[in-house]
Amino acid sequence: MDIFTAAMWIGTTVFLLFSLKKDKSKTLKALKMAFSMGKGMLGSILSIIFLIGLILTILPPENIAKFVGSQSLFIATVGAAAFGTITLIPAFIAFPLVGTLVDAGVSIVPSVAFLTTLTMVGVVTFPLEKREFGFKFTATRNGLSFLFAIIIAMVMGVIV
Amino acid sequence: MKILKKVKENSFCIVIAVAYILMFVLKPDMGVTSMKNSAYYIKEMLMIMPVIFVLTALLDTWIAKEKITKYLGKESKVNGIILSFVLGSISAGPIYAAFPMCVMLHKKGASVRNLVIILSSWAVIKVPMLLNEVKFLGMKFMAIRWVLTVIAIVVFSWVTAKIVKDEDIVQKEEKTNGLTLNKEFCMGCTMCSRNYPEIFGMQGKKAYVKSFDFEIDRERLSQTIMACPVQAIHYNE
Repeated sequence: MDIFTAAMWIGTTVFLLFSLKKDKSKTLKALKMAFSMGKGMLGSILSIIFLIGLILTILPPENIAKFVGSQSLFIATVGAAAFGTITLIPAFIAFPLVGTLVDAGVSIVPSVAFLTTLTMVGVVTFPLEKREFGFKFTATRNGLSFLFAIIIAMVMGVIV
Repeated sequence: MKILKKVKENSFCIVIAVAYILMFVLKPDMGVTSMKNSAYYIKEMLMIMPVIFVLTALLDTWIAKEKITKYLGKESKVNGIILSFVLGSISAGPIYAAFPMCVMLHKKGASVRNLVIILSSWAVIKVPMLLNEVKFLGMKFMAIRWVLTVIAIVVFSWVTAKIVKDEDIVQKEEKTNGLTLNKEFCMGCTMCSRNYPEIFGMQGKKAYVKSFDFEIDRERLSQTIMACPVQAIHYNE
């Protein structure tokens, strides 16, 4: 385990002990909630991981890097952003995945665009959002999020 | 019928399993590579997921959301913006879990701009996720992306508030009488079935309202409704 993960475990454990001391029943309730939520998600998360494993075998990260690198940066970024809107993977799998891709040589601009739209723009959740907030709100929020995801990615490409 | 339903619910899982079986039969070496690739992500996930879930649950429990939500109206200005960011960053669950809460906040007077900030920060800038990002992509990467994302949200929430007015947000007043539970928002956390098992049960991964013919304990019910992290339970007289 690397230092960083260890630090997170220690920090969370301290927080947990503190929380238990302050209000035991409230903390236990929160833990039970976290556990059930995790259990409910585990099946689909494992399926997604096995799918990623499969895709990375057929399309090794180096090939993906070569393919993305051969496109113009703008097209690669818009493409990655669009791909992020339709993909449904939890962020904590997305980070190691993007880490793998960046290590293999994928430019960070499309990677950032993908990470941002992945969580902020939801094609799959669009109908649900529309029903709660109306079409205008949903279309505006998702549209602007997409646009700004590309801007964020471009600016990061300049800075990093 | 029950088997058919199970197959339908787990169709994705089954497709993946079949793909692996085919691969092991046709190209065993590629099957082994796929398993190795997957093992790396499973290892990473198991190391980080418990921490993220526990941390998220603790933050969600200890930060008094009721207090925050009082300051999100149109005249809230900078305070409202900051509080909206805080609210979004510390809450648990995927983005759709934020929808019912935002609808409720809007009814209580939260501005369109603050709604956009809550939804967007809920999606991108979760505290435990930022830690995870540092691990795989580095501190510098995370910090720059975080700053840029915050700036972007501040700007486009302002733009959204110019385009979308309060009236554009549908105020559906569906007065269904009695007790309702919106399954689409249910995350299967089992809080309700633990708090009031006589009324709420679990069906697969979702909660449902049981049929019952006794007098509801109002106090207990309202506590159960409050405890639902995604506010999927409603009760009208």
